[in-house]
Amino acid sequence: MAPLLQVEDLKTHFHLRDGVVKAVDGITFHVDKGETVGIVGESGSGKSITSLSIMRLVPEPGRIVHGRILFGANGQPKDVVKMTDEEIRDFRGSDVSMIFQDPMTSLNPVLRIGFQVREAMSAHDRFSDEQSKSRVVPLLKKVRIPGAADRTKAFPHQFSGGMRQRVMIAMGLSNEPSLLIADEPTTALDVTVQAQIIELLRDLNREMGTAIILITHNLAVVASICTRVIVMYAGRIVEEGYTRDIFKNPQHPYTWSLLRSMPRLDAARHSKLLTISGLPPDMSNPPPGCKFHPRCRFRVDRCLEEEPPLGEVGPNQFARCWVLMRNALVTQPEKAAAAEVPIPPLTAEPAQIDQRSEPDRPGAVKA
Amino acid sequence: MTRGTLLYIGQRTLLIVLTAFIVSSIVFIGVHQLPGNAFVGERRTSAASQQALLQHYGLDKPWPQQYGTWVTGVLTRGDLGESLKQRGQKITPLLLREARVSVSLGLFAMAFCIIFGMGLGILAAVKQNTWIDYVASFLATVGYSMPNFVTAFLLILLTVTGFYAWSGGNFYEDIGWGKLEQIPVPAIALGLLPMTLITRLTRASMLEVIRQDYVRTAWAKGLRSRVVIVRHALRNALIPVITVLGPITTGVITGSVVIEYLFGIPGLGKEFVSSIFQRDYNVVIAVFTFYAVLVGLANLAVDLVYPILDPRIRY
Ligand SMILES: Nc1ncnc2c1ncn2[C@@H]1O[C@H](COP(=O)(O)OP(=O)(O)O)[C@@H](O)[C@H]1O
Ligand code: SF4
Ligand SMILES: [Mg+2]
Repeated sequence: MAPLLQVEDLKTHFHLRDGVVKAVDGITFHVDKGETVGIVGESGSGKSITSLSIMRLVPEPGRIVHGRILFGANGQPKDVVKMTDEEIRDFRGSDVSMIFQDPMTSLNPVLRIGFQVREAMSAHDRFSDEQSKSRVVPLLKKVRIPGAADRTKAFPHQFSGGMRQRVMIAMGLSNEPSLLIADEPTTALDVTVQAQIIELLRDLNREMGTAIILITHNLAVVASICTRVIVMYAGRIVEEGYTRDIFKNPQHPYTWSLLRSMPRLDAARHSKLLTISGLPPDMSNPPPGCKFHPRCRFRVDRCLEEEPPLGEVGPNQFARCWVLMRNALVTQPEKAAAAEVPIPPLTAEPAQIDQRSEPDRPGAVKA
Repeated sequence: MTRGTLLYIGQRTLLIVLTAFIVSSIVFIGVHQLPGNAFVGERRTSAASQQALLQHYGLDKPWPQQYGTWVTGVLTRGDLGESLKQRGQKITPLLLREARVSVSLGLFAMAFCIIFGMGLGILAAVKQNTWIDYVASFLATVGYSMPNFVTAFLLILLTVTGFYAWSGGNFYEDIGWGKLEQIPVPAIALGLLPMTLITRLTRASMLEVIRQDYVRTAWAKGLRSRVVIVRHALRNALIPVITVLGPITTGVITGSVVIEYLFGIPGLGKEFVSSIFQRDYNVVIAVFTFYAVLVGLANLAVDLVYPILDPRIRY
């Protein structure tokens, strides 16, 4: 069966006065019907631009310059990139919905909650006007907004962040889309609320069969709901596979570091966490060779000149690395074991891996 | 209307009354410090008849007493006194008649500056960095740097002299008052400057709002572009624009003084100017007070529009 969404060699670039920023540079992936796929990576790795490309909502001066975005499981999939204005309008919010990082600013402050949900349905013809009207309260109930019936007349500022994100989800699901893209839906929320929202998304995926692309920098979230995961770095996919495989056997040093930097419930409370030091590359002037090499402790000479392809490293697992962790762990065990590895400087500024006990410090893996 | 709103209106009304009281007393004192009086220039008056006139109007009394009499008249009978120049003319009906003229002109000017200002601003924002935007922004800058008497002068030149010459005398602006077609030209002269302000503000505000997350949400919902622009962007963009409507209304009211005088419109503004020239102090005081109340009421009206546009504001 054809996948629900097939992204093929997508390139979304920003043509700026002082050069081209290749925010998304040739990514290929798919999402099956009803599947939950996670996209992880540091801030600036191109996660949001990827999802905005799927919605054709890339901000100026960004452009989709290459590739196809095929959508539709049955019959003939349509290429989102080639859709006319009216086709893309009817596609948005109806076939694919998107919810955003900051629920505080994502709802219109001057319109009532119920109206904003109803309006999402009126924009498309899946439901009649009466149906749209009567669906509002059940939808708000479905996303577990307490006292839903009395709150349709409320304005966004009368809701907490978590409640607003629920409204966004209700709005996103109102036309029963087959895919929901959630771009860091919990990043702006506090921890307990985060867990509730993630649980809600998981339940909705199971109940309604809506496929979900969950963008996050939180690997624990990925582990809890995504069957597959895509790791992005500098506008590229560097590793992809089933969540359980990647968590058990990451093959790309970046994925490996991400996992090593992840706080674990089973670890001692103050166990040392590894953070990936150095900055993500300057996207208008990325390094040659492997984009990760300035920060990689396992790199070999080849990494500096030649960019590795995204190769199959196991059943349904792909990684973009010349060395791969399974070899590195054998040939360079001391580097893997060390919390700190002196990396020979490439430039005046030496890269280093440092140790921190706080998982959330700036400079840590953060999106 | 909530209790809070009513309370707010009550407070503001009280404030307007207080302002009117303060304004009238300042003008009253000021006017009585000026040398001479309303009858000095009159040819046929002897010293004796002048004294009689002063007595008739109560001008021989000490001014605190005069003021007391005047305030009592205003508060009890709504009587603003009698004109010193147009003998026997009660000021209250005179001002009410003239206020009707000024308010029609003012409303026309406001309608013009709001409709065209916002329209041009939205157009410029939606067509940002196209020739439409450049033309609109250019016009806004030019209009903004022209004082209203210059605008008035140019408009008169264009619509009276210019149109007359080009149409061979068939079609031109007939300056004056009384016919509907005589309203637009002075209204434009009065409204052009505030219009350019609204254009610039609307444009800036729209450009700001179009980048907001909730507008992206609106696109992501699959709404039609007209709905996104009008319902989601414009509604929010108008909030800061409404903020300046108060000062703009004040500007239109004060601007009407010059425009009415230049266009020979028998409104409050013209009365104001001629009353000063003629030292018709009773009229001067009355018009000043009237203006203070008018400005207060206009600003109150604008402030009452806010919460309708922005539900986060409650009084
Ligand atoms: N409006 C923009 N103008 C220029 N470059 C942009 C813009 N938005 C994003 N980018 C570039 O695209 C890259 C990827 O951005 P984004 O997809 O938002 O990252 P992520 O969501 O992974 O944090 C950024 O590093 C930035 O360089
Ligand atoms: S290719 Fe080289 S530099 Fe890049 S991740 Fe693999 S080992 Fe590190
Ligand atoms: Mg992002």
